[in-house]
Formats: sequence, C-alpha cells, structure tokens
Amino acid sequence: MKILKLPKDKLDYFASVVQQFGEVHAPVEQDGKYVFKRLTRWSEARLAYDRTILPPKKYFLPPKEPLLVYRPGEGYVAPAGDVQHRLVLFGVHACDVYALNILDLVFAGKYPDPYYQARRKNIAIIGIDCVPDGKCFCRSMRADFVDHGFDLFFCDIGGHYLTFVGSALGDDMVLATETLFETVSPADIDEYKRRSGAKHEAFQLDVEIRDLPEIFEMEYGSAIWDDLGAQCLSCGSCSAVCPTCYCFDMNDEAVLGSRAGTRSRNWDSCLFSTHALVAGGENFRESRSSRIKFRFYHKQRGFVAEYGRPSCVGCGRCITACPVDIDIVEVLAALRETRHAATH
Amino acid sequence: MSKPRAGIFGLTGCAGDQLVILNCEDELLDLVSLLDMRDFLMAASDNDTACDLDIALVEGAVFSRRDKERLERIRQRSAMLVAIGSCAVWGGVSAAERNGGLAGLLDETYGTQGRDYDATEAYALHQVVKVDLKITGCPIEKHEFVAAVASLLNGDPPVYPQYPVCTECKMRESNCLLIEKSIPCCGPLTVAGCGARCPALRIPCIGCRGPAADANAESARQMLAAKGVPEHDIRQRLRTFAPTGGSA
Repeated sequence: MKILKLPKDKLDYFASVVQQFGEVHAPVEQDGKYVFKRLTRWSEARLAYDRTILPPKKYFLPPKEPLLVYRPGEGYVAPAGDVQHRLVLFGVHACDVYALNILDLVFAGKYPDPYYQARRKNIAIIGIDCVPDGKCFCRSMRADFVDHGFDLFFCDIGGHYLTFVGSALGDDMVLATETLFETVSPADIDEYKRRSGAKHEAFQLDVEIRDLPEIFEMEYGSAIWDDLGAQCLSCGSCSAVCPTCYCFDMNDEAVLGSRAGTRSRNWDSCLFSTHALVAGGENFRESRSSRIKFRFYHKQRGFVAEYGRPSCVGCGRCITACPVDIDIVEVLAALRETRHAATH
Repeated sequence: MSKPRAGIFGLTGCAGDQLVILNCEDELLDLVSLLDMRDFLMAASDNDTACDLDIALVEGAVFSRRDKERLERIRQRSAMLVAIGSCAVWGGVSAAERNGGLAGLLDETYGTQGRDYDATEAYALHQVVKVDLKITGCPIEKHEFVAAVASLLNGDPPVYPQYPVCTECKMRESNCLLIEKSIPCCGPLTVAGCGARCPALRIPCIGCRGPAADANAESARQMLAAKGVPEHDIRQRLRTFAPTGGSA
C-alpha cells in the first residue's frame, strides 16, 4: 500500500480538487448530531465528529429504492435511477468502512446485487481516523482499523494526515493534486505508531467476542431474552441506524388505473412483528422477545457461521438510538455472567 | 369491466379525510373517471342515496343513533366498506377518554338542556359493522389513499407499514426528540405512513395515526415516566386518538 502524508493546512485545497471525482458528501452538524450530507461549501464539513445518525449504508442501500418499473406487455425496466451518480464520501470512520466491507459479503458475494455494486463502484470513500467515545467498541469487534474498502484513509499525526492509498481511484486523487502529498519521514512513522497505540488504549468499552457464538448457542433459553422482549419497543431504530442491518421488504405500487407500477426495496427490520409473517397468517417470530433475540443471534452468531465474523462493528449507534436504553454491550456482558446457582 | 360504484360518507368528525380526497388535485380527474361516484354529499348535490355500491369510504366516528343508522344502511348497500381516518378506524378524539362519561360531557357542553340530544358513546366503525379495510391517519395521507384505490382497482389489498413512526424518523435522519431532548414523543408507539412529518419539524408525535402493530405501551409508559412525564399525561396522550385500541 502506498502511504503518504498531507499537510493539514492543505486539506481545504485537497477537498476542492476532490470535487472533480464526484459530489462531495461529508458529516455536517444537525442540532448537536451529525449527518452525512451534500456539502454546499467545504466549511460545513465536520471531520471531528462522533458518529452520524445514519451510517453511510444510506448511500448504498437507500431506505426506499425503486428497483424496477413494470408494465403489462412490456415487461420491466430499471428505473431512471441514480446508481451511476458519482459521489465522494469524505470523512468515513474505520468502523463504517468495515461495515461496508461486511455489506460487500452480502451484496457483492454469492448473490451479487447490481444496484449495490454500481453504487459501491461510483461512490468514493475517503476515511478518517477518530477518537473513541463512551459508546464505541469497534476495537472489541476488530473493526477499529481497515486495510481495504476505501480509496484514501487519513490518520491524524499532528501537522499532517498520514494517508493510506487504498485504490487506483485514491491514487488518481493523490496524483490530481500533484505536489500536495509528501513522503513519510521516520519521525512520522513513530508519531503514527504512538497515536495508533494511544487510540487502542483509549476505548472505554470492551467486549470479549471469543466463544460468543457458543455462549449464544447455550443461552438460547436464557431469561435475558424475555426481559429484553418486555423492554423493546419494536420501533426499529436500532436496525435503521445499524451500518450492517440490511433486511429489506419488496413492495409493488400500482399506477392509478393501470396494472403497471413500480417495485421498490424498502428497509425492513427483524424487530417488526410483520418480519417473519408469511402467507396464511403464520408468524415464525410472533413475540417481541423472539424477535430481539433473533437480531442479537444474527449479528453475533448466525453471521459468524456464514461469514466467519460477527456482523456487528461496534459503532455504538444502536446504543445511542434506543429509546429504552437497550445496550448491546450490557447484553453481551450479561450473557457472559454466570448467573445460575451451582446445583452439582 | 364496468366502473365500480363508489360512495364517500362522513359520520361524526371534521370532514378532514374527505377534504384530503378532494385535495388529491393531480389524481382527481383519474379518480372520477375510474370510479362511478354515486354518493358523495360533500362534493355533489345530486346523489343517488339508495343504489348498491361496490365500495363505500366512511370517515368519522359513530357518535349518535343517527350515525349508527346511517352506517348500518351504508353497510347494507356496499360490497366493501373502507374506514378512512383515525376517527373511523380507532374512534378518534370523539371517543377520547373523559371524566364523567357521556352524561357529564353533555352537561358540560349543553347544560341540562342537552340531555335529550342524540348522542351516544363514541365508537370506531368496526365496533358497529364489519369493516373490510382501514386507512388510518388524522387526516389520511394522500398517497395512502391513492395507493389504496390503485390497488383495489386491480383486486389487491393495499399494503401499509405497520411499524412505528421511529423507523420513518430514522429513514429521514431526524434528531430524536425523546432521547436528545426528553420531549414526550409517541413515535415508538404510533403507526408509520406519515413520513415522520412532525418530528422532522421538531414537533413530537402525538399519536394521531393510532398504534403500530404490537406497540409496547407498558415499556413506553415506564420510559416516559422515567423522563418525568406525569402518569396522567401519558395516559391522556396514548388515548387521545386511538381510545378503542385493537389493531389497524
């Protein structure tokens, strides 16, 4: 990997050059929170942010996405969509890049999804490192560092950003700015290592993921799931803000007075009572407790069996978005506790 | 296929749902060309008040003996009866919980002269007659109404979200009034479909569309109580638009 450095006072200039690669979107402040948004001017960007309300998932798997337009006798065609629209997402945290790499496993693996893939190709990612807060546990989920899935990644080393060049497009961005980027010195390397180590130590939350799938397996009948079922509002906030929740529903909307219409893919959630409802009215997960259990199992156990790692990246969004304070870190800690009185 | 004969009726309510239909300006010409509109007092003076109907859309709650008789007559005439708006679907504000019941309410409003007034306890339509489809909202959403007609003309039931407003609020990435500002917001309990319009304007959801499927009122009550919202206010809020409970 090519590694360079960019003087911080040249970031504005770099951002202006990067516009030629696509419409620049970056975190902007919204009433004390942050959202990825199209910039009207560079000064709106807030690169020192905690987390955005929605993850970058919204660009790759939009909440409501028309997939095809159908018309009797004519079959169906793709709608005049925006999948070819070129964007640059500036300031994506490592956990969110990691989450996109996880979505790649689902949408660009065995069952390639052309809409997702086109967006992944046309949306450039410029990552930036971050300072963990009290809700971050990406280190525990091994998602605090990414070595792929981005075009450029900036790490603060004081007066410069150490810059990992992650793709040919990233290299084009570097070349387009000609002389802005500099060679890394031995002192820069030391500073990078020092800060990387300090960040590693700065996490306040810790989750042990070793043998977690097995513990889930054994605790399938735990009373924890009933307690969570009584607490959960089934509001869907946690799954909407989750960077790796990808469940969707398909809906056809007819044009008035015609059998033609549009088929859309819309975000769904395993917390909804309709998620496992099938024809005939049978529901595989009728109780709230079975639904919230399913969500935890899919993240921490099912995904491990399928893809070799949990799909949770430890971004902390679900903790901040739950109106009744359901906290995944606390749930995982409670599962690990030995709570059963010794009987032998 | 001949055009379905349709009627649109209002019982006790504000007529807001019928207004929404009349405000579907872009679709209105299509709607009247696709439906044989026989009986729609709010929009026409020359109505056939006796003919059989393929579809009747009824707004408002049943709040008098006259309402009940009218509704039963509409039901007899109609192959399909659709409740439109929160009053028809849930009872709405007419049925909102009040101290003193009907007698106290009549006294408070009309004095002792009101006791002979034709008023009954308020009911949602499904408590009086069989309802085939419910389109909730206060008022109904234009797009949900048009989608219903478009689907029904094709012989399909319309599909509406049954999940809470919170999900639509997240979809449009609004700040959370409950979590960030501890403002009592009924988003987690209220059925989506409105696009979380109010929270996007920093106004808390007041539950005007009625409950989402499997709404967890007890957990929400505890959550609001922990934020210092008085028990009475919580109860009042949860029972203003959907006092009859049940499911949409």
